[in-house]
Amino acid sequence: MSDRPPPPALEARGLVVARGSRTVVHGVDLALAAGDALALVGPNAAGKSTLVRALAGLLPPAGGTVRLKGRPLAEWPGDALARTVALVTADDEAPPSLSVVDRVLLGRYPHRGPLRPFTREDHGTVARALGQTGIAPLAGRRLGTLSAGERQLVLLARGLAQEPEVLLLDEPAAHLDIGHQLQLFRVLDDVRQRGVAVLAVVHDLPRAAAWASRMALLHGGRIVAEGGPREVLESEAAGRSFGVTIRAHEIPGARDVAYRFLDQPRPSRPGG
Amino acid sequence: MSTAAAEDDLSPTGDAARRRRLVFVVLALALPAALALGVSLGSVSLPPLGVAGSLLAAAGVPLEPAGLDATGETILWSVRLPRVLLAALVGGGLAVVGAALQSLFRNPMADAGLLGVGPGAALGAVVAVSLGWAHEVFLALPLSAFAGAMTAVVTVYLLAHAGGRPSLHGLLLTGLAVSSLAAAGTSMLLVATEEFRVRTVLFWLAGGLEGRGWEHLRLGAAFILTGSALLTALARPLDVLSLGEEEAAALSLPVHATRMGIFTLASLVAGPATALAGSVPFVGLVAPHALRPLVGGLARRLLPASFLAGAVLVVVADLAARTVSERMDLPLGSVTAFVGAPYFLLALRAHEGRR
Repeated sequence: MSDRPPPPALEARGLVVARGSRTVVHGVDLALAAGDALALVGPNAAGKSTLVRALAGLLPPAGGTVRLKGRPLAEWPGDALARTVALVTADDEAPPSLSVVDRVLLGRYPHRGPLRPFTREDHGTVARALGQTGIAPLAGRRLGTLSAGERQLVLLARGLAQEPEVLLLDEPAAHLDIGHQLQLFRVLDDVRQRGVAVLAVVHDLPRAAAWASRMALLHGGRIVAEGGPREVLESEAAGRSFGVTIRAHEIPGARDVAYRFLDQPRPSRPGG
Repeated sequence: MSTAAAEDDLSPTGDAARRRRLVFVVLALALPAALALGVSLGSVSLPPLGVAGSLLAAAGVPLEPAGLDATGETILWSVRLPRVLLAALVGGGLAVVGAALQSLFRNPMADAGLLGVGPGAALGAVVAVSLGWAHEVFLALPLSAFAGAMTAVVTVYLLAHAGGRPSLHGLLLTGLAVSSLAAAGTSMLLVATEEFRVRTVLFWLAGGLEGRGWEHLRLGAAFILTGSALLTALARPLDVLSLGEEEAAALSLPVHATRMGIFTLASLVAGPATALAGSVPFVGLVAPHALRPLVGGLARRLLPASFLAGAVLVVVADLAARTVSERMDLPLGSVTAFVGAPYFLLALRAHEGRR
């Protein structure tokens, strides 16, 4: 640990974010380096979505700073910011009459702006994004004919088409069945291995733990635990935040860890 | 390279693209056909070959036997041609505005008339007529119609979005309220207007192209073609905007400035269109709504297709207004409403059924 760590791709220091008159995020410190896979977890209304939007530059900080590659977000020109950071949310609001390929192509907007025509390079990037997310066969379909899970993958493909260095995802697996979930996290692994910094809000804690290299637990707008996924989930803070006791069990012969979630704080029932 | 192959797979060369091309070809043929019918038919029918001869002669290609007799020439060049071309412009412009507003409000049932643009433009124009500006000040009529349209649509937008993204009901009801307010203002002005101007205003409010000549066409062309072309040039921002405010902002689109720009251009088209043809409801709703399943939702294709379809619709509607009754011309706005209102109700039903 003698080498100086590389500058974080995205870094929040003392970040405070308000929605209207209500302060939702209270002084968050968080750093994300190239190739990181950070799972942001926390109970409902912890401020996860708000934090992610502030990190994406969509909500201005009420206090503290967010720096992207060492430079405050506010100093980034909009198009350069959107070429560097992509946000993928749970719900697609695009009109149902758009085709999948046209919708993903709009992810190239930050690269071409309002008037310059899309190039071969743009179409190639879109083709790769569709292939990577496994939805190339849907390219010509209209969004209105897709399932919620397929639309979520389209959103992910749009995020990849931006070719970002930082990929932020807010509950990207919300509508996905198990097969598509595995596909999603495989894609995120892929992207991360190519040096993209990935932060995902994930509700499914075992899934988050299996995927992430690091986990941050947000509760009441504050990061209350951060570190390796198992370390965070077994922490007292996790128990308090979710109101459950979390137990990790190593599975002999496998690298995975199984988690059990037990009601709290009632006296534990035998065999619970 | 593999990207080239992939691109070929993706740039939809399949059924969808063939269907789109077919739609554009049909529209591109339908417009001249509608224009030809429009100039040939009426209280006095002109022989189509004579019309063609006269037009070709004007274009420097004299034919034997030459065009029409003197009366026919006068009817064609002073009455029919400017009127029919203006109908095409007004229809095309209103349809482009409808398509753009549907993207902006992210609602396929949005329309200039339902969002207060039409009634706002009408109020602006009536102000200009009843105060006498329309006759005294150059461009006063189209400009006050523009101002009225812009005020109305921005008011609807601000009111409807005050509590977050509005539902379709919220949007339509807000549009209805603002439209009623504009209509109330129009009625009040009408009462206060000097008698000799009232008939002009009433006739104009019903919508119609009677007596429109080349000077009206020139005026309309300047506003409507410029505005429609600029709206079409903004197709990509419109598409990004249709993804929702958050995603648009995350893709670096200046959401607020883009919306205001589109409101301005939409009013620049719809205001003068209303000033020249009176209120022509439902064209902006029907044309893009009917085309979306055929050419897709992308503004780059939907806007030009809507222009062509809107132009055909209003040319045909104006032809019907002139020819259905032998005793009188029907108001153009009534004709489009008779067709458009049932269409709107059916489409609304289908839209609600999907929820």
